[in-house]
Amino acid sequence: MRIRARGIVAGRASGHALVSPAPFSFVGGADPATGSILNGATGGTGERLAGRIFAFPTGKGSTVGSYVLYGLGKRGHGPAAIVNRRADAVVAVGATLAGIPMVDRVDVGGLQTGDRMVVDAGRGTVELPDIQGKRVVTAILRNRGRILIVRRSEKVGTFQGKWSAISGHIEGREDLKHRAIVEVREETGLRAITLRGTADPVLARDGTTIYIVHPFLFDTPNRRVRLDWENVEHRWIRPEELDRFETVPRLVDVVAAVFQPSA
Amino acid sequence: MRLTRAQRNLLEEGTESQRKAMQILLAVGRLAEAPRLVPITSAHVSGVSYKMIGDPGLEFLEDFARDARVAVPTTVNPLGTDLAQWQALGVPPSFAEKQGRIASAYEAMGVHRSFTCTPYLIGVRPTFGEHVAWAESSAVCFANSVLGARTNREGGPAALAAAVVGATPDYGLHRDEGREPTVIVKVGVEPRGIDYSLIGLVAGERVGDGLPFFRGFRGTEGDLKWLGAALASSGACSMFHLEGVTPEFRRARVKGLKSIAITKEDLVAAKRAHTDGTEAEMIGLGSPQLSSDELREVARLVDRTPPRIPVWVFTSRIARDANPDAVATIERRGGRVLADTCLEVTLLEHRFGTVATPSGKGAYYLPSLSRQKVVFEELQTLLERYG
Repeated sequence: MRIRARGIVAGRASGHALVSPAPFSFVGGADPATGSILNGATGGTGERLAGRIFAFPTGKGSTVGSYVLYGLGKRGHGPAAIVNRRADAVVAVGATLAGIPMVDRVDVGGLQTGDRMVVDAGRGTVELPDIQGKRVVTAILRNRGRILIVRRSEKVGTFQGKWSAISGHIEGREDLKHRAIVEVREETGLRAITLRGTADPVLARDGTTIYIVHPFLFDTPNRRVRLDWENVEHRWIRPEELDRFETVPRLVDVVAAVFQPSA
Repeated sequence: MRLTRAQRNLLEEGTESQRKAMQILLAVGRLAEAPRLVPITSAHVSGVSYKMIGDPGLEFLEDFARDARVAVPTTVNPLGTDLAQWQALGVPPSFAEKQGRIASAYEAMGVHRSFTCTPYLIGVRPTFGEHVAWAESSAVCFANSVLGARTNREGGPAALAAAVVGATPDYGLHRDEGREPTVIVKVGVEPRGIDYSLIGLVAGERVGDGLPFFRGFRGTEGDLKWLGAALASSGACSMFHLEGVTPEFRRARVKGLKSIAITKEDLVAAKRAHTDGTEAEMIGLGSPQLSSDELREVARLVDRTPPRIPVWVFTSRIARDANPDAVATIERRGGRVLADTCLEVTLLEHRFGTVATPSGKGAYYLPSLSRQKVVFEELQTLLERYG
């Protein structure tokens, strides 16, 4: 699969992913002499950065991180490329000094250490040749502070019995918002809905498949839901109650994304 | 980003450091979605104290200095010690040696030879509306708020890149819309002394990365220096307006903004919150470096009420050289006047465990940057307590 990204530092590189689920500081996070990961909190302690596609949500910590990254690159211990959800100036400047290709606006939550990746900052793409990508829309419906979740029936192809928001596959080049509205109408019968927000795609991992989830937030004037065959049950819940339900992967992150849209 | 022909030439045919500098500006500009670079009249660079940037920073600066020259008047932040007095301060020779190499690298790039966090006190005073690229949060806050110049809070390497190119990405505080206030802060106190620092600390905590519009008090340039330094420490604020005082307050749109209040009780609580020490071993005056006026005032106070613990005064080389009498008075009373360094980037932790200071910025950073306990108090009170 191939996903869009924003080029920050030009260049192209390929390698195996090293994924840190937490924000990363090169000061204290990487050994300046060897490029080994020092910080256990980020996962991957002892792993070497050299040759890897280093993916982490965003940089944090002191501006000295720029210099550390420069030194790593100079000695050949730096990563082959950097992939962020949101680039920060410290890492971007360090990657520039070290000549390390860098992209952002990629949800690193869908990536796994060991994934084969090709990063092309000039074209603004990230490729995962061993992964199948499936594009879906997910519509969060909101009414007076509560959101709609539905339990998927045994007849659907994936995630049977799991709680989900309204979602559907994207076919070809169709308009994403239109697809979201169609899915809402089919699965709930709700019509007079108003778009309130979107967000960068969330990548939901399922083995060698990544669902590229395009989130939408709609307000609905009423709660009169009429389910079709795809779902067997529905509830209006407060967003913070989501963790009490067994949901499809990363539904919490999809909801968080539309309630706090990234830039 | 749109580039001028000269900028494109630097990117394609400049020296290695010039090309790197252009690439840094492009990367930062891309993050901010800046449409172009705006020419600057001065730069101020952070990332100078060896205590702060260590060996990784030293390595980068020595490499970069090989073929980088600044294109506009450039000042740089304080060093980690006064290189004329380091032996008397007990600074390890290896620290002084590496600090000297950092200073030499910057000097080779053509920067001004004063190492200061207050460029605006040594003659670098951009005028109203002038675009500059400054790092050092306290100087940024002063330039934007008090002088009406325009700068974002640059990172150290980005400010250095801007110095080499003579331009910086045009976004944020360079643009009118980036200078609009986000919240009104009503201050119900007539501040004096460290109240300015306290207002800054409290407002910074509440405003975060917003842009406060203060109401209800007045202050001199010197007062606002302390307020801005504290504001930029506890918050990510790079500018404020003060009604009736700062040059852009009339242009600011305040209609419909949320309003918060700061009371005397807030200031008392903040002072308590930033005091975790009891018995101070030294009094540190700076952060930001003192002006000539402040240096002379300290000499007067110290002469009148001599303390039994050392007073270290941090100022610029220029102010120190211009005030030999004040320096002699402070030294006669057992103090030191240190130039080219400042309170929390200087090496203290090898000598002291608790520092007393009237600086809000100092009180904010000393615990983390220098592992000090802090007594945060007016200078006169400290001199009496430790007299």
